[in-house]
Amino acid sequence: MNEPHLSTKIGIDAEELAGRRFPYQEDISLVEDVDLDTLTPGQDLNWLEDVTLLQEDGVAAVFDRYSNSFLKIYFDIPGGREDEIARKVLMKHLIEGNSYGIQLKAKHAKFPQPELGPWVEGSETVGTDWTPPVLEGWERPAGH
Amino acid sequence: MSGARRTTYDARGLAEPHAEVPKVSDIDGAAASFDATELTTRQINLELRWLLYELRILDVTVRNPGAKHSIGVGILQRCRIRYEGSLGYFGLGLIDGPEITVTGRVGWSVCENMMSGVVVIEKNAGSLTGAAMRGGDLVVHGSVGARTGIDQKGGTIIVGGDAGTMTAFMMQRGRQIILGDVGPGLGDSMYDGQIYVAGSVKSLGIDCVEGEWTDADTELIERKFRIYGLGTPPAFQKFVCGKMLYNYDNLEPSEKKLVI
Repeated sequence: MNEPHLSTKIGIDAEELAGRRFPYQEDISLVEDVDLDTLTPGQDLNWLEDVTLLQEDGVAAVFDRYSNSFLKIYFDIPGGREDEIARKVLMKHLIEGNSYGIQLKAKHAKFPQPELGPWVEGSETVGTDWTPPVLEGWERPAGH
Repeated sequence: MSGARRTTYDARGLAEPHAEVPKVSDIDGAAASFDATELTTRQINLELRWLLYELRILDVTVRNPGAKHSIGVGILQRCRIRYEGSLGYFGLGLIDGPEITVTGRVGWSVCENMMSGVVVIEKNAGSLTGAAMRGGDLVVHGSVGARTGIDQKGGTIIVGGDAGTMTAFMMQRGRQIILGDVGPGLGDSMYDGQIYVAGSVKSLGIDCVEGEWTDADTELIERKFRIYGLGTPPAFQKFVCGKMLYNYDNLEPSEKKLVI
């Protein structure tokens, strides 16, 4: 059994789902220019108001609700900017399409929606031609 | 029996065989509008998705929605939608991103499981307003029914009038700002979150207690009042979870013994 598999614990790691670590998890300069107000609806942070810096496996992390997983942050976070940086790392993860939930959309979305979510203007629409998967060799039981 | 019967569709919405997009909108550049009087729920939602996802028109007005149920659900797009009239039950559920205005009333469970966006209801809302809501702002200028924000997991619900019984029942996260009075059982079995009430509270629910006011509370209230043009904030009482029921580890020793 050499196939890779997810570790068994309560929290799910975004890196494990995506199969790799992303540069913005290790370099604060890659998220400094993320404009949270522009990326969210309304006149304030909107849904990001509920996103805060958390800890997972003893490491700073932010929760990605679109893949139900924790995205760890490995760089030192300046004092007083904990939640802001957590939100910026999360939004960078989402707008670049790296969230596992977004990666699944092209194949599994059942109705039309922007592939990259509501944050990226002009994002491609997916889910327009979904058809139920068919198991090869399977036949519907008699009477159904 | 006098008077014309105005509602001619099947209000239960059980049979809507017409799955084709009606394409009845008046399109003016980047904006569109359509009259929903003669359309079924399914046709209204198909028209909306056609405009938003295929034509990429992100400013839509729906006239005369006729209090039909399940209108405008599952919109996962930054856009502006204005409903000129009232919506029935389970309107605007599962949305992620839109900024919506409803000029009339809404039925129960409006914005159920809302993920993000802004929804402003200019009149009253029914029970279960913002049920299981996860993020964004839901503003009801009128009053709301029972169990507002039941199982709320995030976001902010603002009520300009009164709220009914069991408001914030099993609330897990997020904020509620209620300018009027609240019925019995406020915050019953809540896990977390903050509830701000300007009027009277008939009674508190189990494990809901008065919370300590902080500068963050003042900032939140003043910001939301400014954004939604609600004037000068009145004095609020803050309520939070007492966390006496917080952990299953708090079982009585005899119960623990039974479990082990």
